Amino acid sequence: MGGIRKNIIAAVLVAGGFISAWPADTGERPMAAQDIVEKMNSVINVDSSEGRMSMTIITSSGEERTFIYDSYSKNRGEKNLIRYIEPSRARGQAILMLNNADDIWAYFPRTGRVRKLATHAKRQKMEGSDFSYEDMGSGDAFLDDYTSRLLGEEEKEGYMCHKLELERKQGSDAGYSRLVIWVIKENYFPVAIQYYDLDDSRLLLKELIQYDIRMIENIPTGMKIVMYNRTDDTKTVMEILKVDYDAELGDELFTERGLLK
Amino acid sequence: MRDKLLKILAQLHSRYPLRVLAAVFILTACFGYLATKLQQNMRWADLLPENHPSTVQFNKVVEEFTSATNIVVMVEGEEEKIKRFADEAVPLFKDLIDPSDGKKYIKRIDYRAETGFIKKHGLMLVKEEDMEDMKGLFMDPNLLPLVTNINDSLEKVYIAKEGSMSTREKEDNAFIFLDGIENLVRQIQRSVSGERLSEDDVRKTADKILFGEDYMLSYGKDALIILAVPNFTMMDMDKVTYSVDSMQEVIDGMLPRYEGVKAGLTGMVAVQHDENVSIEKSLGYTTVIALAAVLAMLIIAFRMWMAPLYGLLTLIVGVIWAVGLVTVTLGSLNMMSAMMAVILIGLGIDFSIHIISVFTENRSLGKGIEESLSVTFRNTGKGIITGALTTAAAFFAVTIARTRGMKEMGIVLGGGVIMVLLATFLLLPALLVLREKKRDRISAAKGEKRKTADISFRSLGVAGHWLSRHYIKSLAGVIVISAVLVYAASKITFDHNYLNLEPKGLKSVELEDTIIDKFDLSIDYGMVLADSPEESRKTASLLKEKPLIASVEDISLYLPSKEEQERRLPHIRQIRKALAASRLQPAVDRENAVRFIDELDRLRMNVMEMQDMAYLGGQDKVDAKCTKITGDPENPQSPDIIGGLMEYMEKNAETSRERLSSFQDVFSPYFRESAMSMSSEDILTLEDLPDSILDRYANRDRNLFLVTAYPAMNIWKDKTVMERFSETLESISGKATGMSIIMKYLIDIMGEDGRKALALTILLVFIILLADFGKPLYAVIAMIPLLLGALWMVGLMKLAGMQFTVMNVLGLPLIIGIGIDDGVHIVHRWMAEGRGAVRQVYASTGKAILLTSLTTMLAFGSLVFSIYRGFASLGGAMFLGVAACFLTSVSVLAPIIGLIDAKRVKKGETAGE
Repeated sequence: MGGIRKNIIAAVLVAGGFISAWPADTGERPMAAQDIVEKMNSVINVDSSEGRMSMTIITSSGEERTFIYDSYSKNRGEKNLIRYIEPSRARGQAILMLNNADDIWAYFPRTGRVRKLATHAKRQKMEGSDFSYEDMGSGDAFLDDYTSRLLGEEEKEGYMCHKLELERKQGSDAGYSRLVIWVIKENYFPVAIQYYDLDDSRLLLKELIQYDIRMIENIPTGMKIVMYNRTDDTKTVMEILKVDYDAELGDELFTERGLLK
Repeated sequence: MRDKLLKILAQLHSRYPLRVLAAVFILTACFGYLATKLQQNMRWADLLPENHPSTVQFNKVVEEFTSATNIVVMVEGEEEKIKRFADEAVPLFKDLIDPSDGKKYIKRIDYRAETGFIKKHGLMLVKEEDMEDMKGLFMDPNLLPLVTNINDSLEKVYIAKEGSMSTREKEDNAFIFLDGIENLVRQIQRSVSGERLSEDDVRKTADKILFGEDYMLSYGKDALIILAVPNFTMMDMDKVTYSVDSMQEVIDGMLPRYEGVKAGLTGMVAVQHDENVSIEKSLGYTTVIALAAVLAMLIIAFRMWMAPLYGLLTLIVGVIWAVGLVTVTLGSLNMMSAMMAVILIGLGIDFSIHIISVFTENRSLGKGIEESLSVTFRNTGKGIITGALTTAAAFFAVTIARTRGMKEMGIVLGGGVIMVLLATFLLLPALLVLREKKRDRISAAKGEKRKTADISFRSLGVAGHWLSRHYIKSLAGVIVISAVLVYAASKITFDHNYLNLEPKGLKSVELEDTIIDKFDLSIDYGMVLADSPEESRKTASLLKEKPLIASVEDISLYLPSKEEQERRLPHIRQIRKALAASRLQPAVDRENAVRFIDELDRLRMNVMEMQDMAYLGGQDKVDAKCTKITGDPENPQSPDIIGGLMEYMEKNAETSRERLSSFQDVFSPYFRESAMSMSSEDILTLEDLPDSILDRYANRDRNLFLVTAYPAMNIWKDKTVMERFSETLESISGKATGMSIIMKYLIDIMGEDGRKALALTILLVFIILLADFGKPLYAVIAMIPLLLGALWMVGLMKLAGMQFTVMNVLGLPLIIGIGIDDGVHIVHRWMAEGRGAVRQVYASTGKAILLTSLTTMLAFGSLVFSIYRGFASLGGAMFLGVAACFLTSVSVLAPIIGLIDAKRVKKGETAGE
């Protein structure tokens, strides 16, 4: 069950996560950390999107398994739907997430049933994939849950970046003690994010790297996203096969009926 | 003084060789007897300082917790066969008796679940939040409500619980639950299709729902584990050996009667047994390889038979003395010092080579036996003694180490070199004298003149001469090669994974891998000691919160806190009340039979959905178990046991209903009775736990408790992960231990030890050389090839694809002690021969150092064939190190000599001044 949720979360976030071109940094004056996070937040949160993607996970017996699915997202990631296409065993299965993945439903074509699976799944850490909903900073999580500090400039994955440290605010429900984010100076796209343990701020849990960054519909998009789990040596690889940031998505898609279509 | 002593010794040998031999024989007999008493301790923990907290805790666990040192019997094959095998083998294992004291080897055997305790207190062990979801299962024992409740529970878990299968523990719970469902459906299917089930079969079906599988079966049910808890600890090596051999005999005796079944022993005791046997065997054959290789090389080099054989005999005697000395000084060998024989062969033969070489050279010049021996002692004896003392000093310098492994190795090898040196001066000359006397007699009788042969290496002399004449080119070449090798050396990495040093191909080690594969169990875990069940519970709870910890086992699994138990009580009372109120239905009526089929359909859908989600989530164990129940979605021909049961019941409604009633007639009363029994309201205390559980988590006196933490990942992946796992354990408790912690400290302490020993060795060698040569310049010149050789060694290791390990890092201080001889001998000879004699120096002394280097390389090289990869890693490093030192002694020393000679020509000096 858990794996599904994570697959969905990751898929939706990637498909719907990166939108709106922000004017490039002129480099005239040093920016405040908070400004950079705000700009980044605008870049990664998209109004609506539609895409097809693949995700490769490592199963509990160590095998690789690749899924291909269609993904739909609306209201800056608040509503999400994914529908599996491959492999044939998963074909037709669909997952609907509402309220920023707090409420999750699933459709099983083999039994023809729609079932509500879980609530409060935002911080869910699941097997199957190494993503969780909050990892990608959907909504305004990076702004609301963390205070930011500019560590300097650094080249990362071939891009000149702002290096930021985001520290968890007291009383926030963030699942990490701190994040280190490399934001590309040119377009405010986060090329890499490190996630540190809630109790032990020195312990690196996961690291996300975005590869093959392209401008699609004037929006920077990481065509290949890899989440490296540094505690159990696994990784999850997601690739965007196609994406449309200009999709017109009706609300009816994100309903039980939408699941069955 | 030294000259006088050597002269007296030469006279003694020449005049009374037989008496000397007799004395040597007596000494050898004494040392030989002592050598038979030597013990071997092959544990990693034995390498750390004795008083190190990690060692203390580790030894405490091994001594106090017999369960920490189980003998594991792994049986593979068909489920029914391996269960029968286990049932037959267990009483035989229990009856095995140690003939030395008449006591049983095995204290207790665990191979089936402790159902007695679970049957009484099972519900008290269920967490409150799980109780909320599961209690419906126990409320009504009749089949229709039972299956309905199972469905409700399955759907409830999916809906209400976050991450219901997000951890290994939860995935296991799901697997066990599904296993119970599978068994229930199969038994109902057998029953309704007309198969006669015994009452026992039906009861077992209820037990499986309530308690799970009672044998320790793998997920695939094709492997079974028997845990034998010994009556002794790992410290008792004799019992380790004999108990494992006896159990193996039992297995070997049974296997022919169980076709298709495989069985073997593993676990800490069996692995220790196999390692000891393999290390002994390994050292035995590598010693033979080393001796044979050295002998063959000497015969070829000296072109004679007897003298090399005498050298070898001397060496064997020297090693026996050295081993006897270890028995007196330390009493045992550890994993590092166990290599002493092979190392001493490589080093000790050098003394014989020098003596045989000079003695035969002098004899071939026509000198008398006594004169030849005196000249030999005078010319080469001093060099041998200096060389041996330098090497011994280098080894003794290692005794400053804090690690027992290095410290003891320093003592063993330092003492060993001196014993071999003594044997060489006491035995070899006497043998050579006797041989020469006999040859003289034969020659005199035949009236022949003794043949002589030039056995110097002219080509080496030519090479040395060329290098010294073209010293600028030569030194430039050396600088280029050195730069490449130093760069390579800077890139060498450290392999901290001790498993890469363990023997390969041992059956017990391979079975460990099979256990990891079939039971998904990790063999690398951390252990924390607690002084009370409360401390154990607290420690376990803290550990469970750590991301690097996958699962934790401790006594709290069977002994929840009083508060926890009190919170569970209302639920238990509710279950008892519902059970007491439930009415056993004598038969399944028609309406209920139809509803039963509907519930089966619902169950089928629930399992299918669980299967689909497990597939998406990559939870293979759950997916595979669901496939056994509802079939493979990609193979329509695969059996769907629920669908099959539904179809049969629909087609044969009436007979199915009757048979279902009969099944229920036995099943339901037993289910109710068992459920009532396991819902005891007693608050559990330590005294209530049976020995089989207590022994697993508590020591003999029940005042120490063991918490075992399994890592969430491969801790040997890199050093950081290993260190973080160790730090996590240590941050929770100061009483943590385990292989990760031991290796962490071992690597740290050995690194520090290595650096200190290296510095001290270099200093000691310099002081000895200064005393020997009398001038700092010569001491420095003699040391240059050594220091450069050590760097080349590391560079060559990198180029050969090797890494540093906790074993071969020892090679650095060792090479300082061993490699120095080459430079010493060349500089000595150069000083004696004078300027312009480089060709002669390298033709004669060069030959000797080539031979001694080759013999040392052969000895260390033989370790490469060792099944114990730790020895092989040191052997390989030293092979390269000795080769590097020889090469630098030629390629660096010859041009330096050439350079100095050239400068002195300008100044009008002579060499050696």
